[in-house]
Amino acid sequence: MKQLRRYLFGLAGVAALLIAGCGSTTSTTTTSTAPKDITIGTLYAGSGSYATSSLPELAGLKFWMNQVNKDGGVFVKAYNKKIPVKLVDYNDQSDPNTAQTLYTQLITQNKVNILVSDFGSVLTSVAVPIAQEHKMVLFDPTGTGASFFTPTNPYIVLTGLPTSAVWPDNLAKYLLAQNYKNIAIVYAENDFDQSQDQTLTTQLKAGGVTPVYNQGVPTTTSNYDVIIHNIAATNPDAVLELGYPNNDIAFLQNLAASGQHFGFLFTIFPGQLFSLLEQNVGAKTLTDTYTYPTPPLLAYNSGVNYGMTISQFTQAFQSANGSAPNFLDIAGYNTGLAIQKTLETAKSLSQLDLRAAAGKIHMFTLDGDFTINSEGAQMGETLPVGQIQASGSGLKTVIIYPTSVATGSAVH
Amino acid sequence: MLYALIAGVLFGLYYALIGLGLNLTFGVLRMVNLAHGDFVMIGGFAAVTAFSAWHLHPLWSLVLVAVLIFAVGIALYYVLVPRIAATKDPEMISLVLFFGLSQVIEALAVMRFGNNAQSIYEPVFGKAPVSILGQPFPAVWVVSGLVSLLALLLVYLYLYRTRIGYSTRAVMASREEAEVSGISVHKVSAIAFAIGLGLAAAAGALAPFMLGGITPDLGVGLTVTAFAVIVLGSLGNPIGTVAGGLIYGIALMLMQTYLPSWSALLPYLLLLLVLLVKPSGLFGRQVRSA
Repeated sequence: MKQLRRYLFGLAGVAALLIAGCGSTTSTTTTSTAPKDITIGTLYAGSGSYATSSLPELAGLKFWMNQVNKDGGVFVKAYNKKIPVKLVDYNDQSDPNTAQTLYTQLITQNKVNILVSDFGSVLTSVAVPIAQEHKMVLFDPTGTGASFFTPTNPYIVLTGLPTSAVWPDNLAKYLLAQNYKNIAIVYAENDFDQSQDQTLTTQLKAGGVTPVYNQGVPTTTSNYDVIIHNIAATNPDAVLELGYPNNDIAFLQNLAASGQHFGFLFTIFPGQLFSLLEQNVGAKTLTDTYTYPTPPLLAYNSGVNYGMTISQFTQAFQSANGSAPNFLDIAGYNTGLAIQKTLETAKSLSQLDLRAAAGKIHMFTLDGDFTINSEGAQMGETLPVGQIQASGSGLKTVIIYPTSVATGSAVH
Repeated sequence: MLYALIAGVLFGLYYALIGLGLNLTFGVLRMVNLAHGDFVMIGGFAAVTAFSAWHLHPLWSLVLVAVLIFAVGIALYYVLVPRIAATKDPEMISLVLFFGLSQVIEALAVMRFGNNAQSIYEPVFGKAPVSILGQPFPAVWVVSGLVSLLALLLVYLYLYRTRIGYSTRAVMASREEAEVSGISVHKVSAIAFAIGLGLAAAAGALAPFMLGGITPDLGVGLTVTAFAVIVLGSLGNPIGTVAGGLIYGIALMLMQTYLPSWSALLPYLLLLLVLLVKPSGLFGRQVRSA
């Protein structure tokens, strides 16, 4: 009887150890046997309001994967060999609730090695707590909401852009340098745009300028006519509209139809999705407006020490996909490069080792200088201020600030 | 304030046009067409495509797409509605079916037009703003208001000045009694359903100017707003839709002026308010129980 009891206690102990082991492993492979492939799990918006941006980002990531697999896979230092990359992707239809379920599925069911979030702050915001809860590093291409990056969360790496709180740094400096006093800001209420508004107002106020109009509107806003009228009533010399592509389109369309004209007009997405904006609002409306130029408008060809240059990427992407890349294709590709460099240097595939390796990356890619801070926020890829100017029968983007990278001067 | 009020009237008339077809359909069929907003989206894409391919003026597109979708509506009615009506719970089945139809239309639109927003940026209605009481408004807003008024007038004339309109109102009052009195309920319902869809498509032709870029997912949100507008005016009363649209438009523009952050909540707030204060809507008739 005594022996039987000991036997049962022994079994219970083994079971408890097994259960504890299962709970802690999730997908953090630490065994010495190399996996058959490195599985990257991501979501994309196949429909809905974020599809415009999400699909190119996925295309960029797939392009990177195909390039790597052509060479036999990605070099994984932990196994000292090349391992093919496999992508598991699900369609969240631009719905954060669906995304929440699918992110969990990627971690718990698919047990992916690497987790990559969908485009932008809205669809990334639901991934951040899930990744943290499952102790899984989230490779975040474009979710730049400042609130995602905290000292208590070691499980996030922003790969494609600086945090949105950093974006308007040069813009605020430019506005102050140009002595704009009556500045009006309208922003869409989401992490991405709100954090830019906060940075702008803080920096402008520090420079002695309080915006004459500073209002948030729902991200779903599709008609800005009354808002434009209210802004015009404050007699601004500079107007900044911070939104997603559909907000920018609606704002610029309404502005053109209203007959109003602002001396300085800034919107975000002409710098990222130039063709889309030009198709929807026309070249005339975009002429002389300001934006944040991003690659490929901001062409990094010299100094690139990891991956393709902009020219090489543009050519290769076009021949593979049949269309010229936009910034989001580049952001997807750049995320692939960040993952590649992480795997090349991480001592194991455990998530904390991956995060530690990502933190030590210093590389200059087609997207600029890659450097993350201790909170995982991208700090290297700062955004200059550009102006869209008429050039012959078309348009060109001229970088006007900071002067160290300027390619021309502003036209008023 | 004055600008917001006038803008609210113009925008409200446009939303009345969107809601009118939904209310007509509900009034006659007692079914909420959850795919209504998707027909607005179809009208929008049709106008954009016709303009970019043939430079067809959106007002011509409006007429053509309304007629075309009217014909589609007749066919769709006979394919769907008699079968739904024959089920034990037609109201619930219709909700599910029209929701499914909405999803199918959206998916087809993604396949055909892609996910990117599409719009018409050329000033087809004139470059100069139009002045109303000294306030400048985009010309397209005024055109949209006039088109909406014309459509509302035509629906009014149809319901109150034509023989088939009388029959439609009889069906709206009581389907069973109308049937007993010899009215061809299916014929009347099919025409009302098709007019509803045609009006939605007509509103869609103006959507590229009123609602920014057209995207395949536009429909669901528009159906919700249109539903709020018709509940406000009163379900089943197409003329009440005008009042619902105006209240919605003015409230939206005032919200955008004074509380812009809250403007997205407006349809839901109005719905709650009406359901709590006057569930039959502003123009709802009192129902006397025997």
